[in-house]
Amino acid sequence: MIGFGGLSHLGLVSAVAAASKGFEVVGYDEQPALVAELSAGRLPVHEPGLPDLVSEHAARLRFAADPSALAGCDVVFVAIDVPTDAADRSDLTPVSRLVGQVAAVVAPGTSIVVLSQVHPGFTRSLRPGAEARGARLYYQVETLIFGRAVHQAVNPERFMVGCADPADTLAPALAAFLGAFGCPVLPMRYESAELCKISINMFLVSQVVTTNMLAEICEGIGAEWREIAPALRLDRRIGPHAYLGAGLGVGGGNLQRDMATIRMLAAAHGADAALVDTWASLSQYRRDWALRTVYREVLARVQAPVLAVWGLSYKEDTQSTRNSPSVHLLTALSGIDVRAYDPAAVLPDGALPHVHRVQSALDACRGGDALLIMTPWREFGEASLAAVANALRGRSVIDPFGVLDPAAVHAAGLTHYRLGTGPAPSC
Amino acid sequence: MVLGARGFVAAAVIARLSRSGVSVLGLPAADLDLTAPDAGAQLAALLLPDDVLVFVSALTPDRGRDIATLMKNLQMGQQVSAALAARPCAHVVYLGTDAVYPDAATLVRESTCAEPGSFHGTMHVVRERMLIEALRVTATPLTRLRPSLLYGAADTHNGYGPNRFARAAVAGTPIALFGGGEEQRDHVAVGDVAAIVERVIAHRSTGVLNIATGRSMSFRALADLARDAVGGTVEITPSPRANPVTHRHFDITNLISAFPDFRFTDPREGVTAMVRELATAR
Repeated sequence: MIGFGGLSHLGLVSAVAAASKGFEVVGYDEQPALVAELSAGRLPVHEPGLPDLVSEHAARLRFAADPSALAGCDVVFVAIDVPTDAADRSDLTPVSRLVGQVAAVVAPGTSIVVLSQVHPGFTRSLRPGAEARGARLYYQVETLIFGRAVHQAVNPERFMVGCADPADTLAPALAAFLGAFGCPVLPMRYESAELCKISINMFLVSQVVTTNMLAEICEGIGAEWREIAPALRLDRRIGPHAYLGAGLGVGGGNLQRDMATIRMLAAAHGADAALVDTWASLSQYRRDWALRTVYREVLARVQAPVLAVWGLSYKEDTQSTRNSPSVHLLTALSGIDVRAYDPAAVLPDGALPHVHRVQSALDACRGGDALLIMTPWREFGEASLAAVANALRGRSVIDPFGVLDPAAVHAAGLTHYRLGTGPAPSC
Repeated sequence: MVLGARGFVAAAVIARLSRSGVSVLGLPAADLDLTAPDAGAQLAALLLPDDVLVFVSALTPDRGRDIATLMKNLQMGQQVSAALAARPCAHVVYLGTDAVYPDAATLVRESTCAEPGSFHGTMHVVRERMLIEALRVTATPLTRLRPSLLYGAADTHNGYGPNRFARAAVAGTPIALFGGGEEQRDHVAVGDVAAIVERVIAHRSTGVLNIATGRSMSFRALADLARDAVGGTVEITPSPRANPVTHRHFDITNLISAFPDFRFTDPREGVTAMVRELATAR
């Protein structure tokens, strides 16, 4: 039996993926209300494919608010969310506490695997406590991608497993579980695995930031980034899955947290992490592209402007607004009348009083001087542009991700502003 | 209370605030010489707890680029800081310059390291620091504004750019460019600076804010605007280039976030208005 402690987005998706491989799964969380919701089949997160997968494998899934439910597990994953402060520094106290709880109830020889993202050195610090209870402690790199989490969890590219000593063989139950996914398993020392996770994210950040920097150059010289990106994907040194979509900086919380961790490690060990500072600065700069564009095209020209905003979440197919460019935009637009719509994400009550939440994308457009599409939800690309043009008062459509077809926007009599696209050369 | 009241920027600030019905006391150098040893005591005697102090006084580079001028400017900062430490007021607005940033900085934002390449820029960095330290004790709000290049008919420096080009155009003399005038800079109408100062006071804003339009343009384009403003009747004369072309742009995200509905004067309108004003004054 496989256990999961902490039914976070990561924990829940991982638990369901385990059930989909034929394992009996028990999920523990200290919040009885959450457990009750899950037991009733109601999911607290928006994740494409998750409801179907839960329904399909419900017979092997059980949820409990009592840690003793994990007692019979051969492997227990600790997947609790790690809170961060305003400077993106992690508080790992909840992880320590949960590992202690699990170690207290499981049988000797049980593998406890930390899935939560921790900084290098943390797992080894927990080892004496876990082993005193007879448990074997591992750290496994999680690769959750909001919006694609189910596919990623069911079809992982590889497992990176941090061990006290990578020369030791993995615990048989853990090896059997990981083997069920049919992908390479890479054992390494704890510290390597912990840094491996951060390393992956740093390379992703470098791709995101480099892409965005080049996209801005495109906007200046009249080039089209979408014409360039496919050429880069065909370069073996860059690759078909590289992050080459122009966007609004580094979104989400994990990448920001890892940049903060690298800064901290570099400061502690005398390494040069100035590159991370540059990434952070460039990322923040591009995050505000829509603000500068709407200022230039609308706010600096129109008296008492009204803006329509589509999308609040930091990316499509998620309700998370953590580090969302849309929320940053709306915060900066304090005092400007905004009508906003998002298919899933919500703002805390009273958080942004100048933002009026409406029930449909078209409703948001009514009387607007510009439409800003801040999250590339699929449904936005299917909107009737004739209806949008009719509802808007102004003609500007600020569509950083290029959700809309440029020719269709033009045909509707609207002016389209996209990332990575400059005015076409005149001859 | 506005220090340096006869200056180009201070006069615009006083005019703007007065038009808005604000009670303004402008103190020119003739009434309060901030380089005098007792200037701090004199200023302290005038300050009231609910005053807003706008500190614009400085000896500009056309008055000297040497160490002596630097030291006089620092004395002024010392005196004002001493006055504020002795008699706290409600808010201090300091008008500095974008010369605090390195000459090589091509995209400037408030987080750009202040590493000036001139005594003038150094003076402003040090005076900002003086004020920060003086006001920290009394927890007085401080706003440090760093404007880019300014223009307006009342400018007295006749610096290269709109000020000199408009005067040449009105005089009917050729507009002389360095090289082809390719360098791009961000030029701000002085009235816009005054309007932002007014907003900063109204909001009691704190921190540092660059004042720039976010749209740099070449000196050649500005010369064209000045020439157009007089009906295209003056010549624009390039010269052999002596220095490499450099540009400066501003990321004005913070300014937009602070005042999202603020509208800068369009350069064509600004230059045309300046030309009209200069022509009327002739």
